[in-house]
Amino acid sequence: MAERIDLEMPATLNALSTVRMVLGGLGARLDFSLDDLDDLYLATDGLLRTALDADPLDRLSVEILVDDGVLRFAAGTFRSARLRAEVTLHAEDILDLCMLLRRTVDEVLLEDEGGAYRIVLVKRRKGGPA
Amino acid sequence: MSAADERRVSDPLDLEAPPGQARVSTAEDEDGAPAHDGPAADPQGRGRDDSEKLDQYLLRRYHLHGDRRAREQLITMYLPLVRSLARRYASRGEHFDDLVQVGAIGLIKAIDRFDLSRGVELTTYATPNIVGEIKRYFRDKGWSVRVPRGLQELNIRLNKVIDELVPKLQRSPTINELAEAANATPEEVLEALETSQAYNSVSLQASPNGEGGEDDAGLIDYLGGEEEAYDTMEDRTTLAPGFAKLDKRERYILHLRFFEGQTQSQIAERVGISQMHVSRLIRRSLEKLREEIGELDNPQIMRPSGDDHR
Repeated sequence: MAERIDLEMPATLNALSTVRMVLGGLGARLDFSLDDLDDLYLATDGLLRTALDADPLDRLSVEILVDDGVLRFAAGTFRSARLRAEVTLHAEDILDLCMLLRRTVDEVLLEDEGGAYRIVLVKRRKGGPA
Repeated sequence: MSAADERRVSDPLDLEAPPGQARVSTAEDEDGAPAHDGPAADPQGRGRDDSEKLDQYLLRRYHLHGDRRAREQLITMYLPLVRSLARRYASRGEHFDDLVQVGAIGLIKAIDRFDLSRGVELTTYATPNIVGEIKRYFRDKGWSVRVPRGLQELNIRLNKVIDELVPKLQRSPTINELAEAANATPEEVLEALETSQAYNSVSLQASPNGEGGEDDAGLIDYLGGEEEAYDTMEDRTTLAPGFAKLDKRERYILHLRFFEGQTQSQIAERVGISQMHVSRLIRRSLEKLREEIGELDNPQIMRPSGDDHR
C-alpha cells in the first residue's frame, strides 16, 4: 500500500537531518540495502544543500511517497535557474550535482508548476533480500 | 665500594652497551638480578621464570631505588605487549601508531603504580591498564562529537557485522538484517549509523587491512602502487580546484564511486576498509568540495578539470 509523508520545514540546513531521519525509517521499512540508503542520503543532501544555497526560500516542502519498493522524493517549490541547471546539466569528467544525482538515484525529474518547479528523485529497491 | 661494584649497582643492565655484551649483572647482585643479555630483550624470548625474575628485579630497582633506567628498560621490554594489544583495536579507525602511543601510556602507568607487595606479575597488572587506556582513547578522542557509549559500541559492532554480512549475502545488507545480526532494533541501527559520521577517519598511513604491522604498506602506498585507474584519475584531478583539497584516498574513493560507478561495498572490498568508513569518507569528501566551492564562489567546484564547461 502506498504511503505518503509530507514535510514542511524552515528552509535551513537543519531540515537536512529531519529529512535524513525520515528517509532512514522509510528506507529500512522498504528493505533498502545500506548502499542504497547511503546513496539516497547523498542525493538528498546534495540536492537540498544546493537548493538552499541557490534559492532564497523561507520554507521547504518535501513529499515522500513509498510504494512497492520505490521511494519517490519531491522537494520544492523552486524558481532558481541556477538550481535547474545544476540538476540537469552535466559536463564530462566533472563531479557536479547532476552527476552525483545520476549515480545515486534511479531517476531525476523536474515537475513544472506555473513558472516554478519541483525536483523529484526516484530510488528503487535493488540488491536487497528477495 | 669499588668502581666495578658502583657500576653494578647503579647500572646493572648497562643500557648503553650493545646487545650481546651487556651481561653485567650477576646472581650475587644485592637485589638478586637475574642474568640478562641485552637491553631490548623480548620478555617472550626468555623463560617464564627468567622474565618474572627480571621484571621483579627491575621493578624493585625502580620503586625501591628510584632507578629511572630500570623503568625505561621495563617500558622497552613491554612495548611488544603494547603493540600486540593495540593491534586488536587497529581496525576501528584509528592509526596503529597512535594506539601504541596511547597503550604505552597505560604501560607506564602500570609500571609506576605497580605494588611490589601484591605478588602479581607485571604482565597481569599491565594488560588491563594498557587496554583500558586504549579504550579510553576511543571513548574520548575517537569521536569528534560526544556520542553515548552504547551507540559507540553498537557502531563498532555494526562495523564487524557489515564486514561479515557483505561476503555472506554477496550484497549490501539491509537495515533489518543489520539489526538482527547486531541484536538491535532498526531504529538503533539507523541512529548508530548516523552517529558514525562523527567518528574520525583513519590515517592515510594506516595499513589497508587495519592491522598496522610494521611491514604493512600504508593505504597511501597501496593506492599509489596498485591502481592504474587511480593514476589516470590522478592526472585529471590533482590540479582541479575542488579536488586539490582532497587527499589521494579521498580522490580515489570519489573516483571509484562516481566515475567508475562502484557501490560503497565494492569500494570497501577493493580498498580494504569498512563500508561504513567508505560512507564517511565519501560524505566528508563531498563536504570538502562544497566548502571549496563556497570559498571559490564557483558553483562548479566539484570539477576535476580547470575548463569551463558551462
